[in-house]
Amino acid sequence: MFIDRSMTRNVVTVGRETGFFEARDLMEEHGFRHLPVVEEDGTLVGIVTDRDIRSAMPSAFLDVEEIRQERERISRLKVKDIMTRNPVTVSPANTIEDALLLIQKTRVGAFPVVDKSGKLKGILSIRDLVRAFINVLGIEEPGTFLCIVVEHKVGQLKQIVDAITEERISIGSVLVARHWEEGKRAIFTYLLTSNVTHVRKKLESMGFALLDPMKWSLDQLPKTRDKAPE
Amino acid sequence: MKRTGFLYDERFLLHDTGPGHPETSERLQAAYRGIEEAGLLSLLTRVEAVRTKIKWIEAVHSPRHIMRFEEACMLDMGEFDHPDNQMCGDSYDIALLAVGGILETVDRVMDGRLDNAFCAVRPPGHHAEPNKALGFCYFNNVAIAARYLQIEWDIERVGIVDFDVHHGNGTQRIFDQDPTVFYYSIHEHPSFSFPGTGHAFEKGTGPGFGYTLHSTILPGEGDKEYREALERDLIPAFEEFEPQVVLVSAGFDAHVDDDMSEIRLTTEGFSWMMKTIVELADKYCGGRLISVLEGGYAVQRLPELIQNHLRILMGMDVQ
Repeated sequence: MFIDRSMTRNVVTVGRETGFFEARDLMEEHGFRHLPVVEEDGTLVGIVTDRDIRSAMPSAFLDVEEIRQERERISRLKVKDIMTRNPVTVSPANTIEDALLLIQKTRVGAFPVVDKSGKLKGILSIRDLVRAFINVLGIEEPGTFLCIVVEHKVGQLKQIVDAITEERISIGSVLVARHWEEGKRAIFTYLLTSNVTHVRKKLESMGFALLDPMKWSLDQLPKTRDKAPE
Repeated sequence: MKRTGFLYDERFLLHDTGPGHPETSERLQAAYRGIEEAGLLSLLTRVEAVRTKIKWIEAVHSPRHIMRFEEACMLDMGEFDHPDNQMCGDSYDIALLAVGGILETVDRVMDGRLDNAFCAVRPPGHHAEPNKALGFCYFNNVAIAARYLQIEWDIERVGIVDFDVHHGNGTQRIFDQDPTVFYYSIHEHPSFSFPGTGHAFEKGTGPGFGYTLHSTILPGEGDKEYREALERDLIPAFEEFEPQVVLVSAGFDAHVDDDMSEIRLTTEGFSWMMKTIVELADKYCGGRLISVLEGGYAVQRLPELIQNHLRILMGMDVQ
């Protein structure tokens, strides 16, 4: 799962000399939170984030005269004055898994994608990863989730898939959640049918436990995060 | 007592979904027997089904969808668009009868021969989209009735209440951009239930924004949450919209004994909900309400649920 298949390719960019207001308006107009900054030859030199924009704006606690002065100062600002230099980048040859782990590690919301010579090829945002995850879950097609709790041993998933197949039901996705209960796994099957009553009973008669939907969770991991770089 | 119409036709039993399918003709037979045994038949005005003109189906569905469905039946394909949609050679004709019967019922309510009505039809309709059959549904009965009211009876604002436990994706899609038809659906939260749409954040698009409203109920919830949702969502929405006619997509599968969902609505909960909907129709529509059967698969519970549904339509007391 390489990044170049999921990234956005036609990226709106600005140059170092682009004015502050122009950059801000571009972001607002397109609903972007990240604007890569490139040289004329496409070499990435930085990124402007919505955070850079916000921190350059005048404080709300100024009086009218001070605000006027501030606005004048800001109107002279260029992208190069506010951009984040040396942003965290990824390469088209990196994978989606790399990007997920890197987001967890750096807490960055979008990565410019650059090739070996440092030229911008695209941008990969959390939004792109969300789209990929929705696709993997298969939830844009009509269907029904089941959550089946199984012993953590070889061959369980096969039995489940066989039982579903015998019912002539197509599977939209299968997820296996780890770190559930000791020695157990939770298998989420997204079945492309409205009619799960029978297969549910069948799985139960085979000795599988179906988990109460109100207890479903993909994430039983402790919520620790790597510390962000100072 | 109100003059309540009851659309029922034995030909609806001919739509054969094969063995092991939950949407069976036994559902309708059980409902009919229940009405008979409760002595309600003589109090109701019976409406027989008539075949609809295709132009009314085309008010909602593409000619291609209609043709493909007809062909699938002629060729006895056994299913249409999805393995869930099991059917027989007669299914197309039965679906046309169901729609025609509903439109006949609409006429009688609109010209004053009836005050309101319940249409016990098969196949159901609310999952059917303009170009797609889904979830046992082929033609969107209620959506077609709404368009018919607008075209044939010059009604400007139709309010649809869908209490089937599943979201009526077809009805939503058909009226998504339409401010003249308000679609309210209360159903099990889409992450736990077919078809996976009908989130609270889906509110219609374009000029239809604000004319679609969903109340989502979590697994294990029931009467209390339904009451809260109707009071919080439906009642104020209809107060603002002021529908001229109310159409009900009446699915009985939210019942605690129905294993199509984990929702735990009781028979009393259904009665409270229906009384509330009838009160809204009394308040804004001069009582004009046409209810159409959707799902509901607990065959042992359908008699009491549909008896109560009819008693409430007639204005009788329900314990």
